[in-house]
Amino acid sequence: MKLVKPVISLSITIALVYFLNNSWNFGSPIPPLGKFVDPFHGFWQNAETGKVSDQQVNLPGLKDKVTVVYDSVLIPHLYASNNSDLYYAQGYVTAQHRLWQMEFQTHAAAGRISEIAGSAALDFDRNQRRLGMVLGAENSLKMIKADPEIEEAVKAYTAGINAYINQLNDEKLPIEYKLMGYRPEPWTELKVGLFLMNMAKTLNSGENDIELTNALKVFGKETLDLLFPDREPVSDPIVDNEGGWKFKPVTLDSIPAIEPMEVVSIKPVEKQPKNIGSNNWAVSGKKTASGSPILCSDPHLGLTMPSIWYAIHLNAPGINSMGASFPGSPCVIIGFNDSIAWGPTNAQRDLVDWYKITFKDNTKNEYLSDGQWKSTKKRIEKFSIKGKPDFYDTIVLTHLGPVTYDESYHGDKQNKHYAYRWIAHDGGNILRTFYEFNRGNNHGDYMKALDHYYFPAQNFAFASVAGDIAIRIQGKYPVRRKDEGKFVLDGSKTSSEWKAFIPFDQNVMIKNPERGFVSSANQYPVDGSYPYFVHSSQWEHYRNRRVNRVLSEMNNITPQQMMQLQNDNYNIQAEEYLPLLLDGVKSFTLTEDEKKAVELVKAWNYTNNAEGTAPSYFEAWLEELQLSIWDEMVDSKVSLPKPSEYTTWWLLKNSPDLPFYDYQKTPEKETRNDIIRMGLQRAIERVSRWEKDHGRKADWAYYKDSFVRHLLRLEPFSVHAINGGNPNTLNASRGGWGPSWRMVVSLEKTGIRAWGVYPGGQSGNPGSPYYDNFIAPWEKAQPLRLKFEGAPSALTSSALFTTTLTPASK
Amino acid sequence: MKFLIQIIATIIVCFLLQTFLPWWTLAIGALAVSFIAGNKAGVSFVAGFVGVGILWFGMAFYIDQTTHSILTEKVNKLLPLNSFVLTTLIGGLVGGFAAMTGALIKKQI
Repeated sequence: MKLVKPVISLSITIALVYFLNNSWNFGSPIPPLGKFVDPFHGFWQNAETGKVSDQQVNLPGLKDKVTVVYDSVLIPHLYASNNSDLYYAQGYVTAQHRLWQMEFQTHAAAGRISEIAGSAALDFDRNQRRLGMVLGAENSLKMIKADPEIEEAVKAYTAGINAYINQLNDEKLPIEYKLMGYRPEPWTELKVGLFLMNMAKTLNSGENDIELTNALKVFGKETLDLLFPDREPVSDPIVDNEGGWKFKPVTLDSIPAIEPMEVVSIKPVEKQPKNIGSNNWAVSGKKTASGSPILCSDPHLGLTMPSIWYAIHLNAPGINSMGASFPGSPCVIIGFNDSIAWGPTNAQRDLVDWYKITFKDNTKNEYLSDGQWKSTKKRIEKFSIKGKPDFYDTIVLTHLGPVTYDESYHGDKQNKHYAYRWIAHDGGNILRTFYEFNRGNNHGDYMKALDHYYFPAQNFAFASVAGDIAIRIQGKYPVRRKDEGKFVLDGSKTSSEWKAFIPFDQNVMIKNPERGFVSSANQYPVDGSYPYFVHSSQWEHYRNRRVNRVLSEMNNITPQQMMQLQNDNYNIQAEEYLPLLLDGVKSFTLTEDEKKAVELVKAWNYTNNAEGTAPSYFEAWLEELQLSIWDEMVDSKVSLPKPSEYTTWWLLKNSPDLPFYDYQKTPEKETRNDIIRMGLQRAIERVSRWEKDHGRKADWAYYKDSFVRHLLRLEPFSVHAINGGNPNTLNASRGGWGPSWRMVVSLEKTGIRAWGVYPGGQSGNPGSPYYDNFIAPWEKAQPLRLKFEGAPSALTSSALFTTTLTPASK
Repeated sequence: MKFLIQIIATIIVCFLLQTFLPWWTLAIGALAVSFIAGNKAGVSFVAGFVGVGILWFGMAFYIDQTTHSILTEKVNKLLPLNSFVLTTLIGGLVGGFAAMTGALIKKQI
């Protein structure tokens, strides 16, 4: 058997190559190591110097030449001769920098993460599909296809991305693909719709219907109204137009919304964190140094690497627009053109309902509606799971929406079924709005553009070179009867369904208000004379008052002052809470540690700056206090909502004897002051534990940890930023959330001047110098001057390089 | 001498193959070079290991230097081993076993 040795050696070689050419999972995932470390095609090839020479690329499907100039921070300026080429180039250029992220985020929207991450993501994926994410994207695509201009833009954008994918070689494949051992699939038009569903979920799916339903049963209506008032006693609405709503509102037959008296024992899937928000404002020329309006936009979103934003400048006949775009969607989303600027914040209103469905039998083929049995539709969803056999899930569809929760998914113990009604299921052609914003000339164009905007509902601030400022809360809003939407509804009665939508010209809006500015920060939208019932699971209470307080005092405003205001760390919550807390512990004999902490916060100026430990003690005190007061909710077996921090403060101040102050785990009955002191003690423990764990003083920036995390949660590809702020200050930066695109636009007649920055960088490649180069200017709130030039020649002297895209000869 | 020649030939052949073809073609290159060189199995293993190891290390080092280690430091934190060590080791092992196979086949003929 002389052959044994060469056969064994050959087998070892082949086995080794096979092992190293594939990804594995032995407890933790292992990339295809041979491929990954191969310096000719693997991760080493993703390392970049950032220096690229001018080049020409031939692309199939392009009609004419497109010049792409990359400025000194890698922002592309696209100059095309027609719309189709413009969006083709936008797709191509965006994919070049963000392909992996674009695909990953649309996979997430479509509930397809298990395909690349394995069965750990299955629960998430099923949730996405059971919430109707794909359904909504499909409906949006239908509307896009009915609009030739938008369809052309989406088609061209898709073709541009695919042109990039088709010429992508192994060397330049984004590192995440190499790590996880897969390759990009072709981009589709549906993915544009899917991406927008992600935004809808982040921004417009806030609700606590199940929790409130349980609270109604557990605590009763009176307590519920005390803890969750329709309108909290803090008033600085987005539009205060008392008595000015001179239209005839749509009214519904006044059948009261049914209040269910039962407990829903579903464990709802984890909600979006509550510190999503945003600030925007526009000041009129009356209040600025230049005499021209200034618009500021500052959406607060999940901070990720790569960023949700990609800065871009689009120029073609009829369009010259610059700002932030979504990697995954054509058009500039937040930005400006030669004549106007616009920026949204999230409008918090309730656009979600849960309906209890009564099925005829276990087949779920029919369900009850006004005494009749209606037929369901069923959608069989296939989930491909990496390393596992496929999984199939049947989703039952009612006319109200998909049945999200049933016995096979996060089921109620009593085997009840709940269908999800969400505005985003209806689809929308919101790209039409941004398409028109990008080309708009005046306030009239802005209003027309917004008439196409269905969801996610936003507060759109506006300013124009002509001197107008405006704000309009735009979205498709169901007409609500009092209390409708707060609780789980009875799906067997059509009277509890959405019957009508508020006509768009009756939405909350104002143009050129007397006070000389418009602003919004996710607060209650309108004064009490607005004739529709307005409800949300959460309003903002502090940032809105801060921005209005400062702006009303300011005059001769400069863009630089606006940048400072975006970075403002003054904390109205602390200004209100702290005197109350200090008063609460006054009567106790405090320990040395407590005395020290009290002295520290007493001397504090209510400003959450990066340095100093006082904000850390205050925030810890506040958090511990909420947990101890609302322990009835925190420790409950069924899901219950917690009152807002604002309402908690108001109750502490005005209801000294609330039964909730008693901490249930102790035999004694705690009073209000007892619980405030308990909060202090626990806060001190919490902070000193943190200091011990981290081996450093709990300076605010480190304690709160502004963390810009890679989408795959890979620590080495993530960045910890050092800055001040918290969700209640204008610089709403804490944990993984914060200001995601700070933009300041001065709309001067002599030419627009604009600045912008987001935490991250234009390149999504961790091996590029442009991966995280925006972090430092973002931390310091020094937005970069955006080079807004009408022709490429004005840019070339300061440009990094120029790419000319030319039609490939057929 | 033949040992050195095998190393140098492995570097050149694998470099050319890898420039155009997937990473695992280096195994074919190392095997072929070893077959022609006609060293003993053990010597061939070492020559294949060293040849591909040098090639992979050299290429990685060149990229690292020209890009100021921008990605190396991040990937080092992702991998259980330093990425230079891992790169050299993986390239070397595949090159070594392939070369040994080449030598053993030759011996049979």
